[in-house]
Amino acid sequence: MTKKRQLIFSLVRGLLAIFIALVVAMFLIFISSEGDNAAEKLAATGEALKQLLVGPLFRLNAAGISFEGKRLADILAAMIPTTFTGLAVCIMFAANQFNLGAEGGAMLGAFSAAVIAIYYPLPKGVHPIVAVLFGGLVTAIVMLIPALLKVKLDVSEMVCSLMLNYIIMYIIKYLMNNYYADKSKGQIQTYPFLNSSKIAMLSSDSVISAAKLTWGFVIAIIAVVICWLFMYRSRFGYQIRMIGINQDFAKYSGMKVGFIIVLSQLIGGFLSGAGGAIEMLGRYPTFSWSALPGYGWTGITIAILAGNNPLFVPFAAFFMAYLQKGCDMMATYANVPTQLIDIVQGVIFLFFAAERFLAKYRQSLVVKTAQEEIAQKAAQNKEGGQANG
Amino acid sequence: MANLLSNMLTPEFFFSILRISAPILYATLAAIVVEKAGFANIGLEGLMMFSALFGSLFSYYTKSWFIGFLVALVVGVLMSLLMGFFAFQLETDIILVGIAINMMGSGGTLFLCKVITDNTEGKAMASTTGLITSSLCIPNISIPVIKDIPFIGGVLSGHSFLTYLAFLFCFLTSVMLYRTSLGLNIRAVGENPNAAASVGVSVLKIKYIAIAFSGLMSGFGGAFMSMSYAQGWSQDMVAGRGFIALAAQAMGGGECFGGMLSSLLFGFAQAMGIKFSSVGLDSNLASPIPYAITIISLAVFGVIRQRQAKKPRTAEGT
Repeated sequence: MTKKRQLIFSLVRGLLAIFIALVVAMFLIFISSEGDNAAEKLAATGEALKQLLVGPLFRLNAAGISFEGKRLADILAAMIPTTFTGLAVCIMFAANQFNLGAEGGAMLGAFSAAVIAIYYPLPKGVHPIVAVLFGGLVTAIVMLIPALLKVKLDVSEMVCSLMLNYIIMYIIKYLMNNYYADKSKGQIQTYPFLNSSKIAMLSSDSVISAAKLTWGFVIAIIAVVICWLFMYRSRFGYQIRMIGINQDFAKYSGMKVGFIIVLSQLIGGFLSGAGGAIEMLGRYPTFSWSALPGYGWTGITIAILAGNNPLFVPFAAFFMAYLQKGCDMMATYANVPTQLIDIVQGVIFLFFAAERFLAKYRQSLVVKTAQEEIAQKAAQNKEGGQANG
Repeated sequence: MANLLSNMLTPEFFFSILRISAPILYATLAAIVVEKAGFANIGLEGLMMFSALFGSLFSYYTKSWFIGFLVALVVGVLMSLLMGFFAFQLETDIILVGIAINMMGSGGTLFLCKVITDNTEGKAMASTTGLITSSLCIPNISIPVIKDIPFIGGVLSGHSFLTYLAFLFCFLTSVMLYRTSLGLNIRAVGENPNAAASVGVSVLKIKYIAIAFSGLMSGFGGAFMSMSYAQGWSQDMVAGRGFIALAAQAMGGGECFGGMLSSLLFGFAQAMGIKFSSVGLDSNLASPIPYAITIISLAVFGVIRQRQAKKPRTAEGT
């Protein structure tokens, strides 16, 4: 298939998956909407859908539609942690390792960074960098557990990382309750972060600071570029992808499969931890999470949408943040429970990952391309009847 | 410590082990059968969440625990067939299908619960715990003779009938796998689908049966969770049991009896966690114990498996 056709196919496929998810969403909104008869319900559904699709960027009222900068800034800010977890999952899944530890990783990274931010005063500028690196490193080290168990003992990294998520959550809760909590507060939270540790806002503009859009966004984009260079322009990245495609082949061509698998999960751990840390220091005054944040699961969806290519991660992250914002808007203005996003996310996820979804269409494109090639070759009269399709 | 021990050596403690193990055992049986058919169903968690929700809702709306229970089974089977459609027909990676089902099972069930019960306003945490009374729960059964035996009666009698059924199913599943042609076909498809297909076994059909079986078991597990273990459904109530079952399957060597023993081990770990917090230890320290035991036992199991794999090779060499 030509590159152009491949692109068209990916686009059609992606849009159709999103369309199906929207139809499912519409049905669910319809049953959850208020109204005495079908017509009223339909009208309410229309209103809710408008909030879902347009609400994330525009204010809808009687006067018409007006652009809301604050909402765009909100979406961009919400992209920061999920871009990191998306990258983490991309790199781990690319090596065919279904490590689901990005969820606990983000929480562990956030907590570790919070400890540095509260108890170890450092100069402004250095402090957040040290805290974020520390958060990433601690998570990377913990991620050694599933990675090494997989490589050495063939223990399922999936089950192991899932269990780790729970262990991380409970241990952090235990540490919070017994050692780190500020007892003067009613809610379980740490002492406030030192001022020097905070990640600065992107600008002093009131919209930006209200949305808490920090330099973390820029760092996330830089991380995307670095990850892309690593995966597609470096030896290690090539090996990770090769192992993901065919582990036996990689082994027999002399790659250190075990080392590369561990490396991919270390990097994934570091990225998810750093993402959690940046989120924590940029947007919160104290550490107060009492449950897993959900960024890891969103990261998995993002990696699937991006086809494990880091370059597409920010777009997928934007899409997911947009969808989340849309669901929040719907919850506020149309009284549709915000958890609708989980169903929509699941449906998109299923169709994106489905190999045979639109396979016939792809087949027809392949055939078309091949036929054109044959016709071209016949016209050129260079080779006899044999043409490869 | 002595306090803890005397607290543990009671009939109630052993009773609670059996009770806690039952849902894990259902999910483990589900994991065992699909594993025998050659794939992994990591969506058990989500399947159980859906079954638990619909079981409790239907039991409330029909005022009959039995209908709720049946609906839980049907929902489990239907959802698993949907998984099968995506995995086998559309060739989605079965692990990704499982992740998607778990996503929907976590937030999606809460959405459905809010929409169906109309508990949308003001309440961030909707649940069906307020709707389910003990008469809508799956009934407990006291066994006539055994219940009068001291200690043993306290341990074995008075369980929900689903608890007894779980252990019965463990036996039945084993019979199904090793004594019926269906079981033979399932194992054949898992070991070598091409060979199975060459002798006329419909691989697709067998895979659908296997995943439907896992859905049925998740239905039992889910019904138990919301209509016996707890009164009513609440968010994330399955709390990783679907994942623990995957570990129990691996630890039990993929066999029913081994799976039962490892389910009991996890039940024991969880019961101990509850005891820990009852004597004043922070429950956050006790709660991760089952998960930690999962990782440790998987590692130990891995070491054993590696030793076994090495043995015949050295025997051949010498």
